[in-house]
Amino acid sequence: MSTYKKMNILVCSGAGCISSGCKDVYQTLHEHIGNQGLLEEVRVTQTGCMGPCDMGPVIIVYPDGVFYRRVKTEDVLEIVVEHVLKGRVVQRLTYRSPETGDYLTSQQDINFFKQQTRVALRNCGQINPERIEEYINNKGYCALGKALKDMKPQEVIQAVKDAGLRGRGGAGFSTGMKWQFSAGAPGPVKYVVCNADEGDPGAFMDRSILEGDPHSVLEAMAICGYAVGAQKGYVYVRAEYPLAVERLGIAIDQARRFGMLGENIFGAGFSFDVEIRVGAGAFVCGEETALLASIEGRRGEPRPRPPFPAVQGLYGKPTVINNVETWACIPPILLQGPEWFASLGTEKSKGTKVFALAGKVVNTGLIEVPMGTPLGEIIFDIGGGVPHGKHFKAVQTGGPSGGCVPARYLNTPADYESLSGLGTIMGSGGMIVMDEDTCMVDLAKYFLEFVQDESCGKCVPCRVGAKRMLELLERITRGEGQPGDIELLEELCHGIKSLSLCGLGQTAPNPVLSTLRYFRKEYEEHIYHKHCPSSVCAGLFISPCQNTCPANVDVPIYIDRIRNQDFAGAYQIIKRENPFPVVCGRVCHSPCETRCRRGLLDEPLAIRRLKKYAADYGVTHQDEITYTKSKDNGKRVSIIGAGPAGLTAAYYLRRKGYQTTVYDAAPVPGGMMALGIPDFRLPKGPLFAEVNDIANLGVKIVLNTKVGKDIPFEQVRSASDAVFIAVGAQHDHKLNIPGEDLKGYMSGVDFLRDVNLGRFPAISGKSVTLVGGGNVTIDAARCAVRLGASEVNIYYRRTRQHMPAMEEEIEQALAEGVRINYLVSPTEILGENGAVTGMVLQPMKLGPFGDMGRRRSVPLDEPPSTVKCDLVIVSISRSAEVGFVDGLEEVLRSSKVAKDTSTGIEGIFTGGDCVLGPATVVEAIAAGKSAAVAIDRYLGGTGQIVEPLDVERKYTGPVIEEERSRMRAPTLPPEARIENFTEVEQTYSKEAAVYEAQRCLRCDVRD
Amino acid sequence: MSKVNLTINGLPVAVEPGTTILEAAGQLNIHIPTLCYLKEINEIGACRVCVVEVEGARTLQASCVTPVSEGMMVKTASTAVLAGRRFSVELILSNHPMECPTCVRNLNCELQTLAGELGIREVRFKGEITSYPRDDSTPSLIREPNKCILCRRCMAVCEKVQGVKAISLQFRGFNTVIAPGFLNNLDMIDCVLCGQCALVCPTSAISERDDTGKVWSALADPDVHVVVQTAPATRVSIGEMFGLEPGSIITGKMVAALRRLGFDAVFDTDFTADLTILEEGSELIKRLTEGGVLPMLTSCSPGWIKYIEHFYPDMLPHLSTCKSPQQMFGALAKTYYAQKAGIDPSKIFVVSIMPCTAKKFEAQRPEMNDSGYQDVDVVLTSRELGRMLKQASIDFVSLPEEDYDPPLGISTGAGAIFGATGGVMEAALRTAYEIITGQTLENIEFKALRGLEGIKTASVMVGDLKVKVAVSHGLENARKIMKAVKSGLESFHFIEVMCCPGGCIGGGGQPIPTNKEIREKRIKGIYLADELMTLRKSHENPAVKVLYDEFLSKPLGEVSHHLLHTTYTPRDRF
Repeated sequence: MSTYKKMNILVCSGAGCISSGCKDVYQTLHEHIGNQGLLEEVRVTQTGCMGPCDMGPVIIVYPDGVFYRRVKTEDVLEIVVEHVLKGRVVQRLTYRSPETGDYLTSQQDINFFKQQTRVALRNCGQINPERIEEYINNKGYCALGKALKDMKPQEVIQAVKDAGLRGRGGAGFSTGMKWQFSAGAPGPVKYVVCNADEGDPGAFMDRSILEGDPHSVLEAMAICGYAVGAQKGYVYVRAEYPLAVERLGIAIDQARRFGMLGENIFGAGFSFDVEIRVGAGAFVCGEETALLASIEGRRGEPRPRPPFPAVQGLYGKPTVINNVETWACIPPILLQGPEWFASLGTEKSKGTKVFALAGKVVNTGLIEVPMGTPLGEIIFDIGGGVPHGKHFKAVQTGGPSGGCVPARYLNTPADYESLSGLGTIMGSGGMIVMDEDTCMVDLAKYFLEFVQDESCGKCVPCRVGAKRMLELLERITRGEGQPGDIELLEELCHGIKSLSLCGLGQTAPNPVLSTLRYFRKEYEEHIYHKHCPSSVCAGLFISPCQNTCPANVDVPIYIDRIRNQDFAGAYQIIKRENPFPVVCGRVCHSPCETRCRRGLLDEPLAIRRLKKYAADYGVTHQDEITYTKSKDNGKRVSIIGAGPAGLTAAYYLRRKGYQTTVYDAAPVPGGMMALGIPDFRLPKGPLFAEVNDIANLGVKIVLNTKVGKDIPFEQVRSASDAVFIAVGAQHDHKLNIPGEDLKGYMSGVDFLRDVNLGRFPAISGKSVTLVGGGNVTIDAARCAVRLGASEVNIYYRRTRQHMPAMEEEIEQALAEGVRINYLVSPTEILGENGAVTGMVLQPMKLGPFGDMGRRRSVPLDEPPSTVKCDLVIVSISRSAEVGFVDGLEEVLRSSKVAKDTSTGIEGIFTGGDCVLGPATVVEAIAAGKSAAVAIDRYLGGTGQIVEPLDVERKYTGPVIEEERSRMRAPTLPPEARIENFTEVEQTYSKEAAVYEAQRCLRCDVRD
Repeated sequence: MSKVNLTINGLPVAVEPGTTILEAAGQLNIHIPTLCYLKEINEIGACRVCVVEVEGARTLQASCVTPVSEGMMVKTASTAVLAGRRFSVELILSNHPMECPTCVRNLNCELQTLAGELGIREVRFKGEITSYPRDDSTPSLIREPNKCILCRRCMAVCEKVQGVKAISLQFRGFNTVIAPGFLNNLDMIDCVLCGQCALVCPTSAISERDDTGKVWSALADPDVHVVVQTAPATRVSIGEMFGLEPGSIITGKMVAALRRLGFDAVFDTDFTADLTILEEGSELIKRLTEGGVLPMLTSCSPGWIKYIEHFYPDMLPHLSTCKSPQQMFGALAKTYYAQKAGIDPSKIFVVSIMPCTAKKFEAQRPEMNDSGYQDVDVVLTSRELGRMLKQASIDFVSLPEEDYDPPLGISTGAGAIFGATGGVMEAALRTAYEIITGQTLENIEFKALRGLEGIKTASVMVGDLKVKVAVSHGLENARKIMKAVKSGLESFHFIEVMCCPGGCIGGGGQPIPTNKEIREKRIKGIYLADELMTLRKSHENPAVKVLYDEFLSKPLGEVSHHLLHTTYTPRDRF
């Protein structure tokens, strides 16, 4: 029997870590410990899977439980010399918190481990699975001993029933009841079977248990044999799990040698033995009747039930079949008592459940938590959330038989009932996290491909129906979907569900049903608009960047023009679809870059900066640009609001020949582009140049004219054939706390408008406090720095990763000395003599998940604190003021504006921020384009505002496939920029632009 | 055990435990359509056509495999049930070539009928159609996997009834196909070509090779003398294709019909069946008295012959060396008959009307040319003859009854009963008894050898000798009896083996459907035909006597040996 030594080093030897090289690490470690003459003091053990597979090879050094990750052989000497000999932790190899960036040395400090409760996985990663002594040291085979010596068979069954254990293979049937049925079935010969035909994509808990703790399964099977009266057990394990087969074989041999299997176990007169049956890996063999057929040597196909295997199973004899994880729970139930097990989990779902976290989550791997743990906690606390700052979209549970749970259900407890209530299943515990880049139609197609491929072909609905579903999905994702396809899909789903012979078929439609349930719009987008919002279905778009651009700019073509130094050409390509290249080149939030395929290789292409280069070139080389004007068509359109939406609509309508007049209350055109964005991000010169281009087409821009006040709306309406309302969201929401009437309180938009109009508030030397987390707040804070504030503090109620502001802006603000304080919310603005003197702040924490999948900010049970300040600038949300048009407020309030901007009021269209709320420039441009299309159609036109681009998509130079970082654009150093409003980000040099453009992979070129 | 009470469509019924819903409904005369279901042979619940609604169940249940339970409430024709059935059939049709008008099973296709009954007017699910090559490698059967709906009835019959397992499931899911292993063709494997698969196929995924064209050509050729022989079992089945009850004796109408088709002479295989009894009976007596290989096994069934060649090649010496009646007929038609009628045998074209697909193979065996020509030119199954008659618009039912042409059309009741299991044995015993003992057999009906019991045995005192005989039909039963013989546990003198269940009346070339009830009716018809004959013992057949006098001289004689006996070929399993 082994004993623990002074220091124990556990090296994970799960299959994941083996594939990342743990065997070499173990060898090297063993050698170095030997070289140091420390083999007496330090024990090095290879264990089963520890769970965090993404971080492999992983090592834990006891007694302190220091966790090392991604250890390479060349790191081993350092660990031995520093940690083993000198007691100094090698920090660089420890885990770094994704939230705080701190190094966490002890396993117990890491959320991934801290929040787990390991029952089935209790020994995995703790013992050497190839040594029965270690299992026995951890109370192994004590439960079998207890059952044989102290319990009657019926008492064992009762204990399993009382524990409330349910089948972990997926269906969740009561394990105790199953045993009871089998025990009660007549006949001298009975069997016990372990179902290790794990087949859900991404789920590998059964494999890990067999690899890491095989004896727990053998012990449990023997206990069951005693309880139901069986002498023979089979483990049916797939051939794709060679390591599990090998370790299980070793375990069986050792158990026989130790008398834990075989004749007269523990001298109690009970005999039991186990054999391994290796399956060829058909998914359907996980279905119990198919599995039994396969053990018997027949084609692995399900048969109708009843009779159930518990009564008539293997070779026609009563047979208990349980899944690996279910078995692994049995010994602790007997040892620690059913009450203990039943105290874990929820009322109907007792105990713990192992989940395999996979997909778009920081920490992938195996975890075990009490049943009922909210999905969000599993994904965000243990899993570390979605990597690369992307948004969580949905989590797929239960493998191909399961379904998706969208963001708004992240508070759902992970238990059998709650998950099935959402249209998915617990299944074997697969949990695939999906971010915004996942196309739900494509996802459904993937799972259908799987089940279609794995259908045994016996019954008609599964064999033919699954194929027909897959074909429909393939058509839809190719862009060949037709009206009626969704209804046909639904009919197939329901037919297959209600008619299939076995569970595989009955659940095969679930991925489609659940994506239809929660993401029906995505199906409609594919079918009716031939648009894949996630840029996955390649048949539906030119390139991911173009597909993502709200303005539909043909990115790869203008990038290619830049690469070939045709900068005026590039400018014109952009301007076809977007009248504001200069603006978007500076302030666009560039969703295109988040989808850039180059990002998978090294970094996304710097699309915005390239656009800026081309735009600045175009503006300064007008002689190289050609404009075409259309003839008047005699119809008149009025546009209210000269922001990006209004001016864009004017631009396209004028080109179609409409007499177009734009009214704006402000003294300058441009809307929020001019009044909401400070000069250091968007200088006025280039902006006005672009506005002038529009005016030069013949668009009449009437400034200083507020419709409804300076001029009656009816007058505008009667003078036009159609009106586009694009007044933006000017109305600032208040915090609704005491003190908002004090002098020194301002809204962010008002503040920025004043600054942009040169009416600088006197804040030199004052302490400025801002509330909010969006770009307005950050811009206002940076203005305050430039206006000489003594200190600038932003208070935000969530954490940095939740801030809606652009990451770059946050970085620049911090560099300029702005302080951002997270997890605080103002409850009162304090004042003296009618002027602001300070603010009361309530500490907050992240609570349950909100509808958008973002955690809510809830008050922490701590007293509020007070800060001193002279100025409070609040920018939390805004809405539109459209009272001047009869009925429009109601239309907006009830979200009745159509996607094409029509309002249901004759001749009135609206779009941009006044519909979306504060959004981005490019989204407003997109709304303006939609309005132009809708108005043109309304007034009898074709609705085509941009001629299709006639261009050959071909490579004009080599595709650079080796890694190459993106070109950085120079910025003014912080100390130089906080003094003034000079533009911070500089434009690329010509060489830099061409060099960067060469990085484009040209996803638009298809073979 | 007490009965289980349930209601079906609101009607109460009490049935034995273990009864399926389908059977229980049958007791109430409630019809539930089925497709893959084949009673006692294929009860797998695969096609999902027989689904019913069971109150409390999550999904629709396949009634053919769902046992009843106490208090069960079943609906067999609710909206959900009908929608479910339509869904299954529509899906099947979506993977079907839909060549109905040109399909050999047009108007006799279960899928077609079902689609019609369920009122399916459109197949909305479209997509790939499975495509596997057609297999026309054998003279007997054509496999068209593209028309297969994977009901598995063929497989089940081949495995459970025939014990051959020639075809099985290959691949899985949508790509599943029923075929010989490794997608071999039937000629590469141990298929015995019995055609039982074709008999149970609901579509035309497996069917007989159509040789009617050859016959039409021969009939149209004025230089060719076309003679036809009709097998014993055809006279009680052909009528079914014209709406007559199974088992109706239509011998005379069949003769008339064949004449109207233009055959120059219409003969009866019963004649050579009688002849077979004399040759085979003599062979048995010789083996019994002079010490030959025993037990002797009958050799009339070509499926059985191919089976023993593949599965028990070491047992070939047990087989009687007698050719089958069909082949004896062919050999005599081009020798004895040619001489007698003064026709150049090269101008004689022999057509057989057989209940059997394996006969097509038998006629093409290379050794079957003892007349100097291929003894039998074309074998038509009962179904093919039915099609020819329909093509010729012959109003079969109203035809007068006509007699066969002499001399090869003269027969006894003993020849007729060759068509049913046990018939050969009974006919042989009638003759052997009288020849050996020289006494008249009073009770000529051996009831113990009749009926659908899989293996029947009897002991008959023939003089001093207690002759032990056995009769089996269906090759799974043949396998059992061969096993018993090889093990030495049972010792018989003479064993009749018929390849097809029920004997030739259940042959693979018979009208579709052929099931247990229909087999029973045909057997009844066969024995009635025997009863109606004045002569019921083969050795009393006057034409046979003349044949021996004029041509063969004696059983097992030189000419017989040359024309009427044959040899066998050991074959591999693969």
